[in-house]
Amino acid sequence: MSGQSPDRDEDIVLAGEYALNLLSEDEAAAFEARLAAEPELRTLYAAWAEDFATMTDAVVPVTPPPSVLSRVEGRIFPEPARPARPGLLERFGLAGLAAAVLAVALFFGADLAVRAPTSPAEPAYTAQIAAEDGSLVVAAAYDAETERLFLDRREGAVPAGRALELWLIAGEAAPVSLGLLSDDPVTVVNVAEDLQGALAGGVLAISDEPPGGSPTGAPTGPVVATGPITDA
Amino acid sequence: MLPDVQEIEDLIARMALGNRRAFRDLYARSSAKLFGVVLRVLEDRGEAEEVLQEVFVKVWNNADRYRANGLSPMTWLIAIARNAAIDRKRRNHAARPGDVLSETLPDAAPGPEAQAIRASEREKLDGCFEELEGRHAEAVQRAYLDGESYADLAARFGVPLNTMRTWLRRSLLKLRECLSR
Repeated sequence: MSGQSPDRDEDIVLAGEYALNLLSEDEAAAFEARLAAEPELRTLYAAWAEDFATMTDAVVPVTPPPSVLSRVEGRIFPEPARPARPGLLERFGLAGLAAAVLAVALFFGADLAVRAPTSPAEPAYTAQIAAEDGSLVVAAAYDAETERLFLDRREGAVPAGRALELWLIAGEAAPVSLGLLSDDPVTVVNVAEDLQGALAGGVLAISDEPPGGSPTGAPTGPVVATGPITDA
Repeated sequence: MLPDVQEIEDLIARMALGNRRAFRDLYARSSAKLFGVVLRVLEDRGEAEEVLQEVFVKVWNNADRYRANGLSPMTWLIAIARNAAIDRKRRNHAARPGDVLSETLPDAAPGPEAQAIRASEREKLDGCFEELEGRHAEAVQRAYLDGESYADLAARFGVPLNTMRTWLRRSLLKLRECLSR
């Protein structure tokens, strides 16, 4: 076919099958072991990967909801453990503090990586997003340094089988989704750079949406709570 | 090197040094593209969001290994996204209805030069697909874009598994011969 040795043809095909994820787990593992040792095989695989990747030009890009970025950053950038009071660090030293934190974590069975984040000490903006009847109250505080909005749900809950979606409304502009409130009381949302300017003088609103959030990119359910953003 | 390629490589290099800003920039530039790729395979928004999270955690954790794999940066990112989506799809196994995608904001577009080169590469692949029998070309495309397995493809085209495998392996060899002309 290609006029080359049968072995090379076999490798061309094998590399293509690997690039298409058509090999069984065992076959793929065997291929990967060879890839590590054989530069020529890596070249064959890379050629397929590059050629096939052009097929994705036909795939329509879809902007993921902001909650995806928040969750990723929550996993890859765990906040450093902060001492409860200034001075603690100096008194016990870093190792002592780490040991103390670990001891507390072991005692309470807490998972350090997923513990609730704390509200910023010096927020640039705050808002009280509340329902008229007080059935839902969420305190919001924006930390300009980390570009994060901390949301503390103080009253109310996410209704079973539904989602609460947070929106930023700037003037007459259409509401922009900032993500879904988590089932936990505290939610942290990363605010995209192009939205940060809209915070000053804007309004935060929460709407009732189907699981996974609004399917249209605009609020589809009733707005259950609103609150103006004010300078802290 | 294309400006786009250079810029994304720089971001990955800075991520390997722990630069969070670089991660944000890479996310802004590639997340809509990768979400589209993952959604195409999984056809479920909630699952695609979970997989996209895994993808970017992997990208961050493996940024220091990017140089060694010999792929261009977008191809590397696409491969990570596709692999994660296909792993999830095969683990699920159970068929589920696809949901309607309405949010389709385009990603930041590559520059004109990159677009032109990319378009010519794509035309070449398209031209080579045209040399294959229609069903055979479709099988390769479905394997890549939809993450279909040999078993999925055999069922779709109503042929025995071994026939499917033979079709596809022959098609790969023809494609490579055409692409290297």
